[in-house]
Amino acid sequence: MSILLECKKMKKTGFYPAFIVGGILASCLPVINMAVRSEIFTGLQQPPLQILLNENWAMMAMLNILLILSGACIMYHTENAERALQKMQTLPIRESSMFFAKFILMIGMSIVVLATEAISFLFCSLHWFHTYDGLYTDLLKNFAYFFILLLPAILLSLAISSACSNMWISLGIGVVCFFAATMITSTSHFILQIFPFCLPLRILTESTEQTVIHFLVASVLELLAVGIAELSFLRIRKALV
Amino acid sequence: MNIIETENLSKTYSGFTAVSNINLHIPKGTVYGFLGPNGAGKSTTMKMFLGLTKPTSGNFHINGKKYPENRVSILKETGSFIEAPAFYGNLTGKENLEIIQKILGLPKSAVSEALELVGLTEFKNRLAKKYSLGMKQRLGLAGALIGRPPILILDEPTNGLDPVGIHEIRTLIRSLPEQYDCTVLVSSHLLSEVELMADNIGILNHGHLLFEGSLAELKENAAFQGYPTDNLEDTFLAMINEDNQQRSCVK
Repeated sequence: MSILLECKKMKKTGFYPAFIVGGILASCLPVINMAVRSEIFTGLQQPPLQILLNENWAMMAMLNILLILSGACIMYHTENAERALQKMQTLPIRESSMFFAKFILMIGMSIVVLATEAISFLFCSLHWFHTYDGLYTDLLKNFAYFFILLLPAILLSLAISSACSNMWISLGIGVVCFFAATMITSTSHFILQIFPFCLPLRILTESTEQTVIHFLVASVLELLAVGIAELSFLRIRKALV
Repeated sequence: MNIIETENLSKTYSGFTAVSNINLHIPKGTVYGFLGPNGAGKSTTMKMFLGLTKPTSGNFHINGKKYPENRVSILKETGSFIEAPAFYGNLTGKENLEIIQKILGLPKSAVSEALELVGLTEFKNRLAKKYSLGMKQRLGLAGALIGRPPILILDEPTNGLDPVGIHEIRTLIRSLPEQYDCTVLVSSHLLSEVELMADNIGILNHGHLLFEGSLAELKENAAFQGYPTDNLEDTFLAMINEDNQQRSCVK
């Protein structure tokens, strides 16, 4: 029920259009790239999907992170703008269940975005390259990987937004985290690489199997850590007022 | 029987005491006027009842349920309106009430009933952020009244309303105990307003409960202590002034 309520709360906030337009915008990137300079890529020896991901994913992942940051800010701005959150606190509903319902809604919208992007890659593969055995499996594997690595960034963005009643502060913190991620993404230190806003920039095909497993485990652990931190934060904040 | 009772309830914010050892007794099925100047601790007390603020010491129970053990159960039975209307500006008045209706598990008819009760039916499909101040106030009240809760906590509910609106809301509050067997705790800084609504009153100043009882008892008490009794507003002001003077002497 909480998830349906969260869906309803997002009406007329620009939340849904932001994700849909953002997803389409990111999906246009590989198409435009191929349309403009296909001869550079079609001559390469790697599998088509790997070529497309290597050339486009970094930018697309950045757009995805920005979308997530904006989405989280919109969600909590809607709660704080006319003090609706205070009304919710006087009703028999837990703030933590509201938080996790928002998380599920963000996951749903991220799946929409990732699906749009996957379709775009599929189109580029079929249109400019030749089809090959395992294209669909590779695509599915890559996007499942992107999805899992995106989850800690979603949860952390929401946690930041829930902590700040002023949307500009949470957006500012998010943008700083985003720029920090773009700077440390090329580092060789594993601890820095698993910074939640860095993880969505990783590509499955460029990593060894062991590294992939490490990133997946790190992603799950970060989810647990941020989730527990958020629950503790909500409890402490309640105790302090 | 008292539906709300507090025992030495206090709230201190880093050295400043907002509410000091108050013992309230609110009888079931009555309108209880909570009176006091701005900053007296009325809103803080109400916030404690709703779990928005944690008491520093003391305790209270509402309808036989103790806080904080039965917080959710207390909130299910309590409609509230604290300080100013709180709502989702991007949703219509009706959609705002639908959210509350779903959380409380009420039938869909509760929404139209609440809108009707506060006179917002005509504007139910307008975005809440486009409402006038009075309409926002009514929406806040509808959010408190939805589902006819047995306990209502209303913090200055007539703020921002025009004289006609004030009269309507006052009449509505006055009629609630009889119509819905409801107990209302309503705060105000105007005795003249509380006088027209309340069966019992509690006067708060600087976090201390100066008086609790019926209006007749207030008059009796005031006469006994030498305060003016012709006009209750004067009685109230005299009580507050004397308490303020005593406090400045102690300091």
